[in-house]
Amino acid sequence: MSAITFEGVGFVYPDGTRALRDVSFSVEPGQRVAIVGQNGSGKSTLVRQLNGLLRPTEGRVLIDDREVGRRHVAELARSVGLAFQNPDRQIFAARVRKEVEFGPRNLGLRGADLQRVVNEALVLVGLAADAETNPYDLGFSRRKLLALASILAMETPIVVLDEPTTGQDARGVDRVESIVRHLAGLGRTVIGISHDLRFVAETFERVVVMRGGGVILDGPPATVFVEANWPLLASTHLVPPFAARFAARLGISGAVTDDSVVAALAARSSG
Amino acid sequence: MIRGWTGPVSVFGAVLLTVVITGVGRRLVSFVVASLPLVISILLINTFIYPDATDALATVGPFTVTGTGLTVALQAALRVIAFALAIGVFVATTDLDDLLSDLERRGLGRRAEFVIGSAIRMVPRMVERAGEIVEAQRARGLDTEGRPWRRARGLVPLAGPMIGGALNDVEERTMALEARAFSAPARRTPIRRFPDSAAQRAARWGLGLLIVALTVATVGGWLNVP
Repeated sequence: MSAITFEGVGFVYPDGTRALRDVSFSVEPGQRVAIVGQNGSGKSTLVRQLNGLLRPTEGRVLIDDREVGRRHVAELARSVGLAFQNPDRQIFAARVRKEVEFGPRNLGLRGADLQRVVNEALVLVGLAADAETNPYDLGFSRRKLLALASILAMETPIVVLDEPTTGQDARGVDRVESIVRHLAGLGRTVIGISHDLRFVAETFERVVVMRGGGVILDGPPATVFVEANWPLLASTHLVPPFAARFAARLGISGAVTDDSVVAALAARSSG
Repeated sequence: MIRGWTGPVSVFGAVLLTVVITGVGRRLVSFVVASLPLVISILLINTFIYPDATDALATVGPFTVTGTGLTVALQAALRVIAFALAIGVFVATTDLDDLLSDLERRGLGRRAEFVIGSAIRMVPRMVERAGEIVEAQRARGLDTEGRPWRRARGLVPLAGPMIGGALNDVEERTMALEARAFSAPARRTPIRRFPDSAAQRAARWGLGLLIVALTVATVGGWLNVP
């Protein structure tokens, strides 16, 4: 059973702008999949089909092999948690804890269960000590982690992160990376949209590249970022991660992460 | 006393003539649609429950359609539609930046220009932001499709980020303007000058004077528009 299936999905906005064309791929439960592409390539439009914020104008979307169809967004929120790019578009509570409680409360959690999911989410994003702080006393990067915590607390089997590393320093990026791995370790499917291809290569096991509303590449980072694909990546204004370019210069194939390049160099020098 | 048709029909006719001359008819549909709730309520209330009207035309259940009510309703509806169309013609034919630049050149203060301009430009931005906030809260399970009382519970999660974001925007925009010497006392030199023919100037002054004259004559009792 697939966690997510897109079958020939197309989408045209009411003003006639076509944002998606014939998108077809599946995501297995527990997979970490990154969706990349230039601005306007259809990434955000695609993930909004997962929880019914947008409905495909062609084809269909299935979550756990059940068609999304006309199911309410509030119902789909039990299956798909979507963390948006701008935290300030959702934060309204006067306390961090209250903000994180909002989602799980909407799903019906109360009492000890509610406190448990809230505490776990705050620990995971590193905001446990700020539970009683006003969200607007936090800096942007921490508000972004707060928005992420409010989605994690919903304990949805699918988590979608829209540009989770924007505005994060290196420590924040590492934090997001460990959250993604932690979620996948729990068997939750993680979809990430990002322009940060180093983060993508280090964190995700599969990369879907979009251009003009369609999928042009799909595979593991080591395959997608291979030198032969660079012209295709350039066509959607993507530059492969530095590690991939560095490795290619040294004639090391298949290395696209920092660790894999170091390991290849170590193997070469010892060999 | 019911006033005659001359006023509403001539205003509507003048606006319609402007629409035809400017050729912006298609862009005015949304303005007419936006005025429909008001127009419909005016028609219903005046037609069926106009006070002291006795000239019954028909009876629909407990309500009676009166000739007086119907006349008043149609005249008022015509005025509202003419007003909506007039605003629509203005929006469709006038570039806001051009208008404000020209007003500044004619002596409107920069602060006044900023207040008017940002208030108008903020509308589409606020609409866009409202859409993003609704999406974000719905993704967290906020029910905006269910029963009315459930939807009412969503007011704070929707209004909070909206108001907070708007205040934040104003603060950022103010700082950005100040950083670019917005308050500097020097008078700016207008780069663009807009064509303003003698005929246009004459029409502007003429129409302005006509409005003043008609208002004075009507209020003073010298002109009775039927």
